[in-house]
Amino acid sequence: MYQDLTPEKIGLKEWSKQFRMVGDSEIKEFKYYNNDEWGIYLSPPATFMVYGTRQLKKLKFDNSLAALRLWGFTFNESERLFRARQSGKRIIAAMGDLGTVPVIAMAFPDCIPFYPDCTWWTPFFNESTVLLDKASELGTPEASCFVRSTLAAFHKMAYFPKPDIMFASTGASCDDYSCIMQMAEEMGYELNWLEIPFRRQHRSFHMSEEHAVTDSGFKYPKRFETYLVNEYKRVWRKMEALTGTGDLKKLNASIEKNNRVRRLVNDIKDLTQTADVAPFPALEMMVIEFGNLYGYADIDEWLDILKMIKDTVADRVEKGIGILPSDAVPLAWVTPTADPLLLNIVEDLGGRVVATEYVINQALTIIEEDIEPFQALARSFMNASLIGSTEERVRQIAGSVDSGKIAGVIITNMLGCSHCAMETRLIEEKLKNVPVLAIDVPAPLGITEQLKTRITAFIEMLR
Amino acid sequence: MNDILTSRERFGLLVIDEKPDRCNIMPLITSHAATVKGMKVRDYYTNGENMARAQIAAIDKYEHDAISIFSEVGIIAEAMGSEFEYPENDLPIQRTPALEKKDIEEIKIPSPTCDARLPVYLEAIEYAYDALGDRVPILTYIPAPFTTAMMLSDPNKFLIQTIKESSRVESIVDRSLAAAIELCYHVIDAGGLPIIVDPLASSSVVSPKTYRQYALPSERKLVDFLHRYDLDVILHICGDTSPILDVLPQTHADLISIDRVNMQQAIDKLSSAVRIIGNYDTSRLAFSTPDDIKAEVRNMVEGALHAKQGYIAATGCEVPIKAPEENVMAFVDSVKEVGWYWV
Ligand code: SF4
Repeated sequence: MYQDLTPEKIGLKEWSKQFRMVGDSEIKEFKYYNNDEWGIYLSPPATFMVYGTRQLKKLKFDNSLAALRLWGFTFNESERLFRARQSGKRIIAAMGDLGTVPVIAMAFPDCIPFYPDCTWWTPFFNESTVLLDKASELGTPEASCFVRSTLAAFHKMAYFPKPDIMFASTGASCDDYSCIMQMAEEMGYELNWLEIPFRRQHRSFHMSEEHAVTDSGFKYPKRFETYLVNEYKRVWRKMEALTGTGDLKKLNASIEKNNRVRRLVNDIKDLTQTADVAPFPALEMMVIEFGNLYGYADIDEWLDILKMIKDTVADRVEKGIGILPSDAVPLAWVTPTADPLLLNIVEDLGGRVVATEYVINQALTIIEEDIEPFQALARSFMNASLIGSTEERVRQIAGSVDSGKIAGVIITNMLGCSHCAMETRLIEEKLKNVPVLAIDVPAPLGITEQLKTRITAFIEMLR
Repeated sequence: MNDILTSRERFGLLVIDEKPDRCNIMPLITSHAATVKGMKVRDYYTNGENMARAQIAAIDKYEHDAISIFSEVGIIAEAMGSEFEYPENDLPIQRTPALEKKDIEEIKIPSPTCDARLPVYLEAIEYAYDALGDRVPILTYIPAPFTTAMMLSDPNKFLIQTIKESSRVESIVDRSLAAAIELCYHVIDAGGLPIIVDPLASSSVVSPKTYRQYALPSERKLVDFLHRYDLDVILHICGDTSPILDVLPQTHADLISIDRVNMQQAIDKLSSAVRIIGNYDTSRLAFSTPDDIKAEVRNMVEGALHAKQGYIAATGCEVPIKAPEENVMAFVDSVKEVGWYWV
C-alpha cells in the first residue's frame, strides 16, 4: 500500500519516481464511471505531459496520493466526456452560470453536465496558442479574453463531444463570454439562453417590494429569485423533453449530493486557510474549488476524491506539517489565475493564499434543502460573484483584511478581458486598507522575469 | 479538404476510440529526416538537437502527423557495451557485440542520461517537445528486449542459443527489458511517447515458436509497464508477421504496426482488438513514381480506413534515407485525399 511521504511540492520528474512506488492494484482501484476497461485515471503528471499538457513540465504538485488522484482525474476529463458519450450518456453543456444548471442536469439519469467555457484554461496548461489562433481565424478579436478558446474547441470537437443540449447564460453575465456563445450559435450549435438578473440593491424607499437576502446580508428584490425560478423551470422542461423523464425527487437528491461536495470543499478550505502551516498548495486548492461547478463530469468519483483530500489535509493539520514555510506571507487571491503557474510562483516566492474570490461564489454556497428545489437553486445563485456590485464581490475579502488575516491581495487581470479588467481597478479602490498587486496575466508562455520581480518585491514589502 | 485538427488532437481522438477529421498519417520518417534537412546522417544520430531539427524540418515539409525520434535499433545494446562504427552518411554499423567481450552478469543497465547515444535521444525529445509538442506527438522508438538481446550477441550464436540455451537467452532478454524500462522512464519524463520496435522478432528472422517463447513475453512486460502510465502503446515489427498475427494481441499493445503482411488479413485478424498501422512498401517509396505511389496508397487507405478499432496510414518500415522527397510527399498527399472521416 502506497504511503504518503513528508508533505512537499514536487516536480514532474519527482512524481514519476514516486509513482514507481504506487502498486498496480492501487492504480486499478480508482476509476471514473466505475469502468474497469477505460475508467482508470491514476497516472503521474508525465502521462498527461506526454499527451501535450506541456505546462506540467514546469508546475509543482503536492506529493500526496490524494493530489495524484486529483490531477489524474481532472486531466482525464476530456477523455471522460467522450467515454460518457460512447457509453450512452447524454452530454449537457452548461455555460456561463458557473454552478447551478449542472445541479438540474444531474437530476436526470445518465446526464453529464460540463462547462465548455472551462477551455479557458487549456492554452495555459498546454502552453499553446493552437486554440487562440484558431479562435482568431474564426473571427473572434484578440481583444476578447481567453474564453475565446472555447469557440475553437466547438469548431474542432476534439476537446469534448458535441453536446446533446446546451444552456448558456446571458444578462448579468460576462459580455466576452456571451459574444463567444453567440458565435458558437452561428456555427450551428443550438443554444438555450438563460437570462440572469442583475443583483441590485433592494430600495429602502420601496418598502412594499418584497426582498430577500444573500448569505453575506445583501438585500435584493425577491422578484429576481422568482425570475430565476422560472428560468430554471425552463431548463428543467428542456431536460424533460431531452430525456423523456423528470422526477423532482431526483432534483432534491442532486441538491443534496452537490451540497455534500460543497460542504467537503468548504471544510478543506477552512482547514487549509486556518492552519498554522499551509497543508495543501494553492494550485490544487483552486482545482478543488472549481470542482464545485460540476464535479468534473463524474460527481460520485469527485466526492470520493474530496474525502481523500480532506483526510490528507486534516492529518497534516493535526501533525502541524505542510508544504510551505510557516512564515509564508498570507494573501488573498481575487479572480482566477488563468495561468496556473502563477500560483506556483507566488508560493515559491514566499506567499501563501489564505482567501480566494474566484468569481464562483454561487458554487460554494450551500443550497437550502428544506424549501422548494427551484427556489433553493435561485436563492443560492443570488450569491453569485459576477451578478452584482464589486463591493459585494469583495466583501468577504475585505472582512478578512479587517480581521488581520491577510497581509496583501493579488488580483489577476486577463489579457483581452473586458469584463473583469474594469473590475480590477474598482477592486483596488474597495480594498484600500491593504496592499494590492494587480497582475495582467499574459498570453501562454508570457510570464516574464519582470513579472516575477514585481511579485517578489510585493511579497518582500509585505514581509 | 483542409485539416481541422492538429496532429496531437487527431492522435488523441484515435486512442480514445473517436474518429478524427481524417486518418493519422505516420510514415516512419526516421533518419530520412537528415536528408530533408540536408544533414549528414552521422550528424543526425550523434546530436540530439540535430535529430530534432531534422525531424521538425520533415514535419514542415511533409506535414505528416508524428515526430519520430529514432535512428537504429542498436542504441540500447550500444549503451550496454556493443560497439558500433559511425559512417558519415549511413547508420551505425555494429562491430563487436557486448557479449563477445563480457558475460551477461557484467553488463550493466545503462543510464539514459549518460551512456552512449541515449542522451542524444533524450535531447532530441526535449528539443522537439519544446518546439511543437503542443501540436505533434513525439514518438520515440524503443528497441524491444528481444531485439536488443540479439544486438548484444553474435546473431548466429544467439539464434542457436534460442534453441539450445533457453535460460541464457531469457537472462539476456530480461536484462534488455530492464534497460528498455529504464530508458522509457526518461523518455516519458522528456515528453516522448514510447513506441516499441522489435524488428528482429519478425517471422522473417525467427520462427513463430521463438517469437512466442522469448519475444512475446518480453514485449508484453514492456507494454504492461507502459500501461501503468496509461499510455497507448504502439508495437512495430518489420518484415513478415503473418505467421504470428493471431498472437500479436497477446502483447497487450494498443496499436500494432505491420509491414509485409496482407492488409486485409491483418484487418480480419486484428482490427477488432487493436488499431492497425501500416503498411506501404518502402521499397516502392524508394524506387517507384509519385503517380504510382498515389494510386497504391489510395487503395491501401480505402481498404483500411474503416478498420474497427481505427487505422493509421504508415509505411511498413522506415522511409529509406535517400527516398525521393516527391515520393514521400506523394504518400502523404494521397492519404490526405482519401483518408477523411469528417465530410
Ligand atoms: S476572464 Fe473576464 S472576460 Fe473572460 S470570460 Fe471571465 S469574466 Fe469574462
